Amino acid sequence: MSVPRGAVHAKWIVGKVIGTKMQKTAKVRVTRLVLDPYLLKFFNKRKTYFAHDPLQQCTVGDIVLLKALPERRSKHVKHELAEIVFKVGNVIDPITGKPCAGTRFLENLSDSENLTEADTTYLSEKLQELKVGSTDK
Amino acid sequence: MPMKGRFPIRRTLQYLSQGDVIFKSSVKVMTVNYNTAGELSEGARKFVFFNIPQIQYKNPWVQIMLFRNMTPSPFLRFYLDNGEQVLVDVEDKTNKEITEHIKKILGKSKETLEKEERERRKQSHPATFGPKKYHLRECMCEIEGQVPCPAFVPLPKEMRGKYKAAMKNEA
Repeated sequence: MSVPRGAVHAKWIVGKVIGTKMQKTAKVRVTRLVLDPYLLKFFNKRKTYFAHDPLQQCTVGDIVLLKALPERRSKHVKHELAEIVFKVGNVIDPITGKPCAGTRFLENLSDSENLTEADTTYLSEKLQELKVGSTDK
Repeated sequence: MPMKGRFPIRRTLQYLSQGDVIFKSSVKVMTVNYNTAGELSEGARKFVFFNIPQIQYKNPWVQIMLFRNMTPSPFLRFYLDNGEQVLVDVEDKTNKEITEHIKKILGKSKETLEKEERERRKQSHPATFGPKKYHLRECMCEIEGQVPCPAFVPLPKEMRGKYKAAMKNEA
């Protein structure tokens, strides 16, 4: 009987790290939406998984992507850390690639530091034109 | 007596089964990052409010995670079975546009769905009898025009084994 991958049903899961007290292992809480049969509303149901983290690079609060191991590593560890999606305190916005915190960016998005000489002269000329225009009125 | 809640129609089976986004089998995890305030996130918020229940109902084995107010821009991220990640920017899109887009990129096409439906119909034979889970009918007595179930209507004398055995012994 050949099981190519996963002695476990969940091949890829995303969860939040809740504990790193174990050596080279992270405790990850995974939430799934489960339909309540009477209310017909989806609620989060949580389940904890243990993931192998050889470099101990997870901290509590990280959002991580876990990959199922081909065979169980120990009694409870059936997954390993594939990548850290969002590092706590150091979230990088994937669309722009810039660090952010909550709904604002941490660094200045405009590129006023990288202007060349030609750009600054061009802009100052434009400003001069605008000033002249306003005095005419 | 009206239902409780803001848009309780979201909590009806008819609404849930009307979802038309069925993901390909390679999609394992769907992550939605959106903000609770701001015009740009409005479409994403409507998407989460109205369409996520439909998607989860149709795809019970896809893990859906929602993240609020983590990044300034709203986006969707799909994690596929081969390790690939699909990033979908949903800034300034209405929820209808978002569903159309993900249906186009990661949804099963209509031909695949029809093919699966035909396969399922081929598996189950309509003329067999058995448990309700696998067959249409359990007993011949359920069909109109056939002999009714003796549990409700006693069989006529001539059909009962007791009478038939007595007639045979008499002769």
